[in-house]
Formats: sequence, structure tokens, C-alpha cells
Amino acid sequence: MTAFEAVIGLEVHVELLTQTKLFCSCSTDFGAAPNTQVCPICLGLPGGNTPRLNKKAVAYAIKTALALNCQVAQEITFDRKNYFYADLPNGYQITQHFHPMGKKGFLPVNVAEKTKNIGIHQVHLEEDAGKMFHVGDILSSPFSRVDFNRASVPLVEIVTEPDLRTAEEARLFLQKLRNTLLYIGISDCKMEEGSLRCDANISLRPLGSKELGVKTELKNMNSFRAVYRGIEYEIERQTGILQEGGTVIPETRHWDEEIGATKSMREKLSESYRYFPDPVLLPLKTDTKWLEEILYSIPELPDSRYKRFTEDYGLPPYDAEVLTSSRDLADYYEQALQTYPEHKNLSNWIMSELMGLLNANNMEITACKVEPPELGDLLKLIDQGTISGKIAKTVFEEMFTTGEKPEKIIREKGLTQISDEETLLKIVDTVVTAHPGSVEDYHNGKNKALGFLVGQVMKETKGQANPRLVNKLLQKKLSN
Amino acid sequence: MDPANLSVQQITAKINKKELLLTELGAILAGRSKYAQKKLNLFISFDPQLFTEQIKKNEQSTQVNRPPLWGVPVAIADNITTVDQKTTCASRLLAAYQPPFEAQAVSLLQENGALLIGKTNLEEFGLGCAGNSSYFKPVKNPWDIKRTAGSGAAAAVASGLATFALASDVRGEIRQAASYCGVIALKPTYGKIPREGLIDSASSLEQTGILARRVSDLAWALQVLAVPGNNNPPAVKRPLYPEILGNIPAKTRIAVPADWDQAPLLEEGIKNNFREQLNKLARVGLEINYVTLPHFQYASLVATIIGAVEAFSNLSNLDGVRFGYRKEGKHLQEMYIKTRSAGFSSKLKKFLTLGGLLSTKKYYNSHFLQGQKMRSIIKKELLDCLQENELLLTPTTPCNAILLDSSPPAGEELPDPAAYYTAAANLAGFPSLNFPVSTNGLPYGLQFMAKKEDEGVLLQIAFLLEKEPIKWPIFALELQEV
Repeated sequence: MTAFEAVIGLEVHVELLTQTKLFCSCSTDFGAAPNTQVCPICLGLPGGNTPRLNKKAVAYAIKTALALNCQVAQEITFDRKNYFYADLPNGYQITQHFHPMGKKGFLPVNVAEKTKNIGIHQVHLEEDAGKMFHVGDILSSPFSRVDFNRASVPLVEIVTEPDLRTAEEARLFLQKLRNTLLYIGISDCKMEEGSLRCDANISLRPLGSKELGVKTELKNMNSFRAVYRGIEYEIERQTGILQEGGTVIPETRHWDEEIGATKSMREKLSESYRYFPDPVLLPLKTDTKWLEEILYSIPELPDSRYKRFTEDYGLPPYDAEVLTSSRDLADYYEQALQTYPEHKNLSNWIMSELMGLLNANNMEITACKVEPPELGDLLKLIDQGTISGKIAKTVFEEMFTTGEKPEKIIREKGLTQISDEETLLKIVDTVVTAHPGSVEDYHNGKNKALGFLVGQVMKETKGQANPRLVNKLLQKKLSN
Repeated sequence: MDPANLSVQQITAKINKKELLLTELGAILAGRSKYAQKKLNLFISFDPQLFTEQIKKNEQSTQVNRPPLWGVPVAIADNITTVDQKTTCASRLLAAYQPPFEAQAVSLLQENGALLIGKTNLEEFGLGCAGNSSYFKPVKNPWDIKRTAGSGAAAAVASGLATFALASDVRGEIRQAASYCGVIALKPTYGKIPREGLIDSASSLEQTGILARRVSDLAWALQVLAVPGNNNPPAVKRPLYPEILGNIPAKTRIAVPADWDQAPLLEEGIKNNFREQLNKLARVGLEINYVTLPHFQYASLVATIIGAVEAFSNLSNLDGVRFGYRKEGKHLQEMYIKTRSAGFSSKLKKFLTLGGLLSTKKYYNSHFLQGQKMRSIIKKELLDCLQENELLLTPTTPCNAILLDSSPPAGEELPDPAAYYTAAANLAGFPSLNFPVSTNGLPYGLQFMAKKEDEGVLLQIAFLLEKEPIKWPIFALELQEV
């Protein structure tokens, strides 16, 4: 049986976080009542053909191109892609066909502990179409309705080279891409709201072959999981066809999340869109000063941060990976580091306690009430022996809920650690007297018994005893 | 003096001195318009009540400093949007279309006191002058009702119903119509009059222009309309047009293409008359220089290629989905086909089909891109010529107004031979003016072109030639009896 290799390229559409649309001043807010964020320009009304280019959207697209290591166009031009559809008000989409904003870029992705550079074919700026509504299936629906609020919302399309080989690689790439775009702040990248949409081109070829096979285009994957499952399914489906000696039909297929399969949507005809330069929008020069401004607005990207976290802070790769997986989280970590420069200890706390609470409450780090320096303060209190690690967890939960400072909580609740030997010795004496059996066990070499006795002292002090000191005092007492 | 033949300044002066009542002028114009409409079909929308209301509003105004167009009747071509009257582009697809906004040019006229007499008939989407594509039937020429007027705007100005009119120029339409009707027309520099609210068919060529019977009226209109805007950098310093008309530079050089008489369809009468006109200009001391413009002859072809591709795209919003005429179909595709098949004239469909074809991948390089290259060459040739000369002169049209029911039907050719002389100014974005002269009892025009932003010299040469007032068509005299 022939072994096949999958060749996968992605086309990713990202809605930009601009306040207004690409060519008019209509709002881009998500979720408004249908057709309330429209004007003669974005509705394509006769006489409304006077687009005014949103420069912020251009800057965001350039920022994206730069972050993906692309060559940036010297002159920004727009073209019309002419086709008829009910969600396209003008009968053409304004896009960048002839001279995309960025070309020949790449994004490094860690695949199986190796770094693989995935080629970025191009990055371009374009306008979105409206949104169609049907009852059930488009063919059986008694009506078609269109909401033009989304029409002409600025999008950046990122087209990869066919460098991906597995569904897992595609998923990892997409996550890395999303993370990068969130870092540079050009989009909120919410797949469920459609502000990040991913289509995949998939073909198979015999392993070792250089030629590309017949590809299908896969659409409607609305989560990372769906991207993984959809591609996985499609590879399997094509493998089945080829192994039986069949041929793959070039077509657009729809991922159906519920049945977990891809369905044929339409055969891909040799599409001839009519592209030509927009006759209204004049070319815009990208002067060096503007480009520099955009370049300086790009923050440190995940890869460089990861490198710094592992090399400068000595964090294990896993910690660095988790902490840099979001710009906000990494910022939080580094801010807390200012007051508490114990790299690994802080990382442990953020990854277990903080992220545990965030996940349990389904919250983003940005909504966290605990300011980074206060987390640092709390950890300092542990190290100074003011509170025990265990008490600290209780204090932290309180901080997480109320946003109060750790010192205040400790003071008000009387949670300060007992490190006074005399006080503790009295309790140790009581405990030892009360549990002669455990004392005997300890003398018979059962080390577990010591733990039990420590626990009893902690219980007596409501957890406030300094556990290290209790340990020491107990051992001393028992050895007498 | 006939109150409908007053200049912009005369109207304002007479109103101020209370020698003219706007209601009086309004009543005269309303009566004549009604009569003219029956005879010439020059309006698509003419609403006497709306006109009267505007007059009332002006009369009741207590404004002290009256703007320059106070009480001046103007006509607007029906592809320029208005909020209180529909804007049809003479197309079945927009026959009932009421825009929710007003063209900036129209707002400027109203802010300056002008009275909108009506929306004038035109070729469908303002393309051409042959009188064969308006859904509302052709406009008849006030000089000879068997001939095309080119546009209702030109007919309205020639008949004295409007002091000036606004209309658009894609490949020379306002100049051609002015040539056919014997009036002055100026297509200004691309973008000079705001484009906002013009329903354009070919964006990179099309420009709103002005038709008038007097140079000074045209100058006043331009003064009001040429405001800084999107395509109109505020840095460009403009002269006060009405004040510079008499100051034509002593040594004005006029270039004439050496092969001007090689236009296909150039009529013998026009050829002879144009030669006489050249002699006349030389006699008043203007320098005539014969120049070689090897690619000028391709201008109409190139403008047709580019215009067709742009029009195909621009008019793709007319799909029956959101506004305008719709013919239902079993599915979306069928609705599109039925709507557009029934909605457009056969002439426009031919033009759009050409545009659709030339924008496919197959013809993009060989035709469209080639056309764009040729456009640059033509522009360069004109620019070089206008470095050495202040003006370029040709006839405006190779013939007088064509007959409306000629056989075989004229004016459907691609490229349009009537645009032979006019299209180059649209390709280059340069200003160009028609000045009317006549031959065989019918008007035709001299076309002058100047370099970008040089409208002043066009107005000056027209002012120089205007020593004798422009002739009225018989129809206008007939109207004065109404």
C-alpha cells in the first residue's frame, strides 16, 4: 500500500480591532441589531462610491505583516474582486490582489520539540462581506436575509505556504498565529464570534513525491478542535479514496461539527474573478517614518520572550511556554517579578494557584483583581516566615475574591505564623503526651508518625504554626 | 429683456433692486418648462410645486449677505443625487430610486441660493450622447427636434430654462452635448468639483462639469463648486474666476494636432468651418502651433476599454437585492440575470458585456493593462504639448447632432466615434471646454484643453471668443412666446 503525505495550507481571516469600517465611519461593534451600522458607502448605494481609507486598519495590516516577518509593500494599492452575491453590497470586494501588504514571511512553530518555519505566502487587507441568514438549509429556507453590519469591516487575510503536513501542525500553527496576533493587539481573534476564521487547503501525495495532488478546500471550522478534527477527517477521507485507486474531486467541503465529517458544498470551477485596480482609491505611499512608528509599536513577540524566560530567568521550557502563551499572562509574570524576583517560585504560583482560580472562575487574567506586585508581596511573606505556604493559599483566595492586600487580610484574620519556640514547645508537649501510640510508632522507625504529629500541632494552631520549626522541635523532643 | 436670459450677476442685481421678483421668474420658467418638456422630453423629474417652494423659501429669507447664486435657476442631470427628488440615471433599474443623501455639488448650489428647476434626462448612466439608451426616451435637440440633444442638461441651457446646468462627463458627454446644442461646457480637472453623490459609471474618467450660455455664469458656478475636497487638495490656489475673464495672457499659444482632420466621420462642413475658425484666431493675434500627438487618435478606444471595465464593476451594485427594480427568479442567480436583462438598455448591456469580458484573466493583460499603458502615453503626450502651449484646440465633435432615427442606428459603435476628440481629456484628467460655433444652421463646438488646474485660461479664451453673444436656437425664441 502506498504511503501518503498530506500537504496543507491555511487561509486565515482576522477581523481588525478598529472602531470603524475600512472605508466609512460606521461602527464595527459586534452584536448590534441587524443593518443598524450601515451608510451609503458600505451599503453600496448608487452615488455612495466615495470610500475613505481607514489608516488605522492599514497600520494594523502592516503591523501584522511585520510581525510575520514579511516584506512590506512600498505602495499600498487596492483592487476590486468582482463577483455577484447577495451579501456583497457593491458587487465587488475591495482587496489587495496585485500587491499584498506583506509577502514572503514566516512564522516559527514548535513541532515535536523542533522549530519549523511555516512560510507566509502573503498578508493582505480587505473588506468583509455582510452576513446571510437562513432557516435551516439555504435551499429549503423560505427566505434569505442579509445583515450588512459586517459589510466592509476590515479584515486581514493571512495565506500560508503549503508547508503543513499534519492536522496537529496546523493546529499548532494556528495557535501560534493567534497568540502572535493577540500580542500585537490587532484583533481579539475570537473563533466563536468569527473574528478569526480559518479555511484549509488539503491535498495528498505519495510520500517522497514533489508534485502536489488534487486539493479540497475545507471551510466552517469554528474552533481549534474543529480545525484539527476537520483536517484529520479530510486526510483520512482522501487517503481512503486514493488507496482504492480513486481520484479526489477538487471541491469546497464543509466541516460538520455534529456528525464529525466533511460534506461537499460545491465543485471548484476554475474560478475567474475579475480583478482590477480600484479606480477610486489612490495608491498610498508607506513612508519610512510611518513604517518605523508601526515597527516600534510591535511589542516583544512570544518567541523572543520564551527565549528570555528560559535563558535569563532559568525557567523550564514548560513554564516558559505556558507563561508566554498570552501576552497578558507574561506581562503579569514580569510585573510580579519586580517585587518578587524568585523566578521559579513565582512561576509555580502563577501556574498552579492563579491559573487554577482563573480557570475555575472562567476568567481572563486581565480581569484578575490581584495586582501583580501584591502577589509578589504575598510570596515574600511566605519566604520571611510570616505565614505558611498553606495559609498563603487561603490568603490568596481571599485576595482573588476581594482584591484586598495580603497584609490586610493576614492582620484582620490573625493569620500570622507562630514562630515563637516557647509557645510551640508547649503545644508540642501536649500533642506528644496525647498521642503515646504515635510516639512509640516513631521510635519503632515509622517515619510517617512524625508527619501525623506535625499535623496535630498544625491543627492545634489552626495552621498558623511554622511547620519547619514544628518539625525541628518535635524531632528534638522525640529524640530525648 | 427676457427675464430668463439674465446672467447670474444680473439676476442678483435685479432682485436686490426689486426690479425682478423671483415668483415672476419662477412662473415664466415653470410655464416654459412644461411646454419644453412636451416638445423635447428634457426632464425626468420636473416638479413645479417643489420649484415654487424653493422660490418661496428664497423670497422669505432675511439673509443680508446674499450668496452669489441667489435666485439663479439651475438644472441637474439625473445621475447626480438629490434628496427631494428621485435620481434615476435614466435607467429602468433606478426608475423609482430615491437617494437618502444629496450630492455635495447640489448642496453647494443650494447653499449659494440657486433654484433647482428639475432633474434632466440623459443617456443611461450618462454614457454617450446618441439618444438611444434613456429609459425615459431620448431628448430632442432644440435646434432640430429630429436630432439628439445629447442631454437634457444641454437642451435646458440652450432653451433658456436654466442659467447653467450640472452634468457628468465620462468620455466627453457634456462637451459633446454642448457642441450639439450650441452652449458652453466645461469639464474641469478631475476631482475639482466634488465627486460625492455622483452616480458614476467609470470612476477614473468621470467628472461633473458645468454647461452655460455665458462664460461669466460658468465662472460663477465654478467658483462656488470648486471647493477643496478628497481629490482637491486645499493647497491648490485658485483664482477668482469671474474676475480674471478679461486677462488672457498676451501671448497665448494654441496647439492644434496636425492630423486633426483625420477623425472618422468628420463632416465636410465642420472641417471647412474649423479651418476658418483657426484663421480667425490667428487674426486676433493668437499663436497657432501645429503639433504631433501620435496617440491622440486612440483616446476614444482606450477610454472605452477602461470605461467599460470600470462601469461593469461600478454598476454591479444594481442587482435588485437592496434597492431599485427587481425581477424575481427561482434563485438568486436567476434574479440577477432577469433583473439586469430587463433593467438595462441594449446599448448599456453591450458596454457592460465588453467590460465584463475585458476584466477576465484572459483579456486583462492584452487589453485592460495595455489600455492603462496607452492612457499614460496619451497623458504624457498631452502634458508635453501643454508645457509648450497654453491650450490644445480641436473640434469637439466630428459631426453635428446625429439624427435620432437614423438607419442603421448611429451611436452604438464601440468605441464611440463621437468621443474621438473629447476622450483624451478624461484619460488625462485635464480640464476641457466646448465653445459653440455653427455651420449649416446647426451648432458644433471648438474644444479647448488646458493642463491640470488651468481652468482660468479656458475661461479666458472662451470670454475672448464670446464678444458676440451665443446664438439662440429657434426653439428658445418659440419658448419666449409661451
